[in-house]
Amino acid sequence: MRRSSDLAMSALTVATAGSMAAALWLIFLVAPEERVMGAVQKIFYVHVPLAAITFLSVFLLLTGAAGYLWTRRAGFDHLSIASAEVGWLFCTLVLVTGPIWAKPAWGVWWTWEAKLTTTLVLWLLLAGILLARAYASTPEQGARIASVLGVIAALDVPIVYKAVDWWRGQHPIVFGPGKTDPLAPGMLAALLVSMGAFLLLFALLVAVRARLAAEEDRLAALLEAAARSR
Amino acid sequence: MSDAAPRPPGFVSASLAIAQKDLRIEGRTKETTLATVLFALVVLVVFAFAFGGDAVQRAGAGTIVPGVVWVTLAFSGIVGFTRSFRLEREDDALAAVALAPVDRGAVFAGKALANFVLLTALETALFPLTSVLLDVPLLAAAAPLALVVPLHTVGLACLGTLFGAVVSRLQRGEALLATLMLPAATPLFLSAVHCTASAIEGTPLAADRHWLLLIGGLDVLYVLVALLLFDAILED
Repeated sequence: MRRSSDLAMSALTVATAGSMAAALWLIFLVAPEERVMGAVQKIFYVHVPLAAITFLSVFLLLTGAAGYLWTRRAGFDHLSIASAEVGWLFCTLVLVTGPIWAKPAWGVWWTWEAKLTTTLVLWLLLAGILLARAYASTPEQGARIASVLGVIAALDVPIVYKAVDWWRGQHPIVFGPGKTDPLAPGMLAALLVSMGAFLLLFALLVAVRARLAAEEDRLAALLEAAARSR
Repeated sequence: MSDAAPRPPGFVSASLAIAQKDLRIEGRTKETTLATVLFALVVLVVFAFAFGGDAVQRAGAGTIVPGVVWVTLAFSGIVGFTRSFRLEREDDALAAVALAPVDRGAVFAGKALANFVLLTALETALFPLTSVLLDVPLLAAAAPLALVVPLHTVGLACLGTLFGAVVSRLQRGEALLATLMLPAATPLFLSAVHCTASAIEGTPLAADRHWLLLIGGLDVLYVLVALLLFDAILED
């Protein structure tokens, strides 16, 4: 059992490294340079997958947090810890890569547009969850408080988006009804492979973090048993 | 049937009892009202210093006043929400409240109701003070404000009670209240500032139907989420 999960983890690590190398090759050597923006557009292949996966992590957080409150099974809390921490990391990277592109493209580092503002608010909410867990006096209390905050944060994000959208309306739309000319084939391939690579990286980090949380629980239980038998 | 155990109170009477208890304590001590009203006055004065006394005349009432009022309300509210659960900490009163044979949701509803009343009391002091200190004729907008402000106060009271309960469980957690609550209150805050600006500028409320619908929905959502989650917060 332990053996097979180790094997899966190693396979995931190799797949992540391989797809990451393939993504870099496609982004820098295969995908054509964008006519207007030039090299700076390359960050799009990193920014878009990171942003999409950040919002995926919110779904995982909701699953873990609500599942824990419902069943009180530790496995759900491990998912909730992992998705909050890794989601926060990805969210940070989204907030760093966005402005690097925005400054040359829009002339400003930041604008209070709906997607940006929602990402910033999400970052604050996730940071709050991590902070609250750190303040808890027992791990069990931390799990409960973090789950409550996780559910609130996940439900809040779509409403924040709608509210900010009404408040301000400038984010490039690459796919969907607002856009007619499709991406060049090389660009689409680079984006898709990059998306896959970051998805694998996310899965790997979440799996490692969740396993670490389970090990921490086991260690705490062992220490408690040792203290009791003494 | 006189020897039967007394039936535990229902949801509504339990929450009313809790609200009554909190308001009675407040009526005797007047601690929260004094602390929040004074704090609100201080924040208003600081805003006047920061923007200059004639900022409202220069930028227009609709630009400055809604932000000033809601930032002041949120920050003074936080002072009050912290106190709402500190009441229960003395003599471990929260354990007794949590052990009462009533739905824990009723504890939330009672506390939120008391907080709503206290916030409304604060607002009845804050709006005249703002009107005088920043020289804005808020009385002329009294009718739309009387609809817009309580609608948003319900949401603020619910969020404040929910997050106040969360941080009261954490050791030294009171410092976290603003950090945890204000990002979650983003939609409430945007809506409050927008609707208050419309009220002050005399825009008909019908133009803000979607915002009023949003805040009505938010109020319902906050209450439902709080009722569902309050059990998990009060445990231990």
